[in-house]
Amino acid sequence: MSIQVFVPAPLRPYCGGASELGIEAPNVRAALAELERRHPSLYRNVCDETGAVRRHVNLFVNTAHVRDREGLDTALMPGDVLTILPAVSGG
Amino acid sequence: MPERVMLTIGTRKGLFVAEAAKTRRSFALRGPFGPGVAVYASLIDTRGTPRLYASNCNPFFGMKVLRSTDLGKSFKETKSAPVFPKDDGRALANIWSLETGAGKKDLWCGVEPASLFRSDDGGDTWEMATSISNHEHARKWQPGAGGLCMHTIIRDGNRVHLGISTGGHYLSEDGGATFKASNSGVGAGFQPDPYPEFGQCVHKIARHEDVPGRLYMQNHGGWANWSGPGGPRPDIGVLRSDDHGKSWRTISKGLPSDFGFPIVVHPHDADTVYVMPLVPETRTCPGGAPAVWRSENGGDSWSRLAKGLPKKQSYFTVQRDAMDVDRLKSPALYFGTTTGQLWIGREGGEEWDCLFESLPPIHCVKVAVV
Repeated sequence: MSIQVFVPAPLRPYCGGASELGIEAPNVRAALAELERRHPSLYRNVCDETGAVRRHVNLFVNTAHVRDREGLDTALMPGDVLTILPAVSGG
Repeated sequence: MPERVMLTIGTRKGLFVAEAAKTRRSFALRGPFGPGVAVYASLIDTRGTPRLYASNCNPFFGMKVLRSTDLGKSFKETKSAPVFPKDDGRALANIWSLETGAGKKDLWCGVEPASLFRSDDGGDTWEMATSISNHEHARKWQPGAGGLCMHTIIRDGNRVHLGISTGGHYLSEDGGATFKASNSGVGAGFQPDPYPEFGQCVHKIARHEDVPGRLYMQNHGGWANWSGPGGPRPDIGVLRSDDHGKSWRTISKGLPSDFGFPIVVHPHDADTVYVMPLVPETRTCPGGAPAVWRSENGGDSWSRLAKGLPKKQSYFTVQRDAMDVDRLKSPALYFGTTTGQLWIGREGGEEWDCLFESLPPIHCVKVAVV
């Protein structure tokens, strides 16, 4: 499936400045694996070394948070947008 | 270029660098670098062309190491940061210590969960030291309030001392190839056995490089009134070893509290040591009146240094790496507070001035003359 990955501004230095990346992946897990292969530094910002998505990083498929779908097994359809966003938190 | 005094100040909101002439009359501040991201460890590497390093503990996107090759005018991420092997099961939560290794570009890095990483290329690549990171005790260590951190790395030839909260003091005598818990005389207050083999909440260890067999430790004290199993355990907080850390004895007598975090040794006198006693319940200075306490006889007696410091209504904490001393002929001490003040204690702490009043909460302070 050909999808777009939206990269937030703080992470663009880890993928050559790109704000969007076009990749082929049938689900979110495969999309992350493809990111790891093509942009390992970007991937390391999104997932820790155990492979878990970092606690304060949220992944959305179009407008739905993946936790409200099937998590990393959420299927991707052609034209979907996988958005990486840091959580709103801090102080 | 004349020698300058450089300070790295790691805060909750990034790294600041302060610079002064050797007179230390006024410091120019720049930063924050890695803005908005907490810095728990920094290093001023004065071997050859000085390099500055800082951890960049990003809660969103993970840990990074920052490096400056222009005396702290700019910083860039190193090519990689420490990372556990994929099949290890642990994930890096913080970077707590950065120290130089034996080789010109060697760096050692203590992290949370307590593990040791080494780099031989100035921080661009890192390898986990399995000798301590996979030590048979490692999965039994418990996190202290600050996390399960490896905060102290002291190298002395083939000897390596590590401080872990809560794991205790670990000693290697083969350059780090193997480590043994070395906590004889180091008490613990939060378990029935007052003197366990390991698991002590060591807060910081320091030594004078010319007297490597003597070490000073600020341990987690404040257990004099404990009435539970094992009974009270007074004076376990400030300790000294004279046999390369194989055994330890208290030097807490005379202090208003044996609880505290940093411990610093005078650069020209191994008998002179500084601590900052804190009330264990609040982790602030007794009576709201901050003071550094100094011993000039290796811990046999202590005197209070507070000239210029607030006399009341000051309730801050000075964290384990937030006090340091420079190496000038008449050295100055520096400490940073959780309320964002950076203090200088001129003449070895005899007279204190506040250099910066409103920085973010300060985690670590390092000083070097470059």
